Amino acid sequence: MKRILFASMLVLGLAGCAAQPETTSSLIDRQELKVDPEIIYTMNVTELFEERLAQTGGESLLQVQFAVEARSDAELAWKVTWFDATGMTVKGVGEGYRKASLLTGQTRYFKATAPHARVVSYQLHLREPK
Amino acid sequence: MLIRTIAISLSLSVLAGCAAPTRYIDPAADDGPVAMTMDYRDFEKAATDSVEDMLASGAVNNPNGGRYIMVVSRITNDTMQRIDTDQLTKKIRVALLRSGKVVTTTAVGLNGAEDEMSMKARELRDSEEFDQSGVQRKGTLQAPDLSLSGKILQRNHRVGKEQQVEYYIQLSLTDLASGLAFWEGETPIIKRGSDSSVSW
Repeated sequence: MKRILFASMLVLGLAGCAAQPETTSSLIDRQELKVDPEIIYTMNVTELFEERLAQTGGESLLQVQFAVEARSDAELAWKVTWFDATGMTVKGVGEGYRKASLLTGQTRYFKATAPHARVVSYQLHLREPK
Repeated sequence: MLIRTIAISLSLSVLAGCAAPTRYIDPAADDGPVAMTMDYRDFEKAATDSVEDMLASGAVNNPNGGRYIMVVSRITNDTMQRIDTDQLTKKIRVALLRSGKVVTTTAVGLNGAEDEMSMKARELRDSEEFDQSGVQRKGTLQAPDLSLSGKILQRNHRVGKEQQVEYYIQLSLTDLASGLAFWEGETPIIKRGSDSSVSW
């Protein structure tokens, strides 16, 4: 009986400690750059720029460019997720990670263009392909 | 006889147990092995590169405002594989439509309309069986402004003891008024693997 009571209290305690999701987009402080620890040893993100490309009708498209410098031969997988002003994701062409190889000492520049003018922010994720 | 039957049944059961289970692959998180043939990841890469370049170059910005109307022309498959080029063009069409800059017509095509219903629905004109207020009027179909054409090439090489297969996905976006290619792009996809791998 004691054991059941203890287990129930533990479960309730853990549920209370769980992080609550953000429900308002204005409160989300989303990291623009997420780099997995596995690739930190082999490469370094040296640049991350963004600009808006003017379009007809007064609109503009968000474009991001980042540079990666390799300390040793390495493989990289990267993906940009796009968000509109309300914090909702905006679908791009593909869903998969883009893969790239880097040679020791090489700096490579990668660019991604938002799929729609309503994109206002992004999150770039760099990881090591398995 | 009974012993042999049991032995065969047992062997089959063991072999079935060793087979890789069928599973779903999530395209958003697929780190699976690479095939020497063209797979969905190659089409996705080519479509992503092409659409992002089209959008960034401004080639699909209609100076008169509004959306361009595109028609899909011939995409030649010059590979050793049987490829349905819609795997590539559909991704491009969907992305351009979502961008709000280009809409594709299905009423015109090199080998006839992609959707013949646009013309079929007009055959209802003057039919006494149909309420004519809902029948499409003359002169409502929109002619295309842009044409998407291209080619998928394959070249095989032996590199040492390995095989290198090169695919080139070449695309052109032609302005039908002037006949000029407003945008052109090439996505190379190079794979190197076992010489015993089959690329056709």
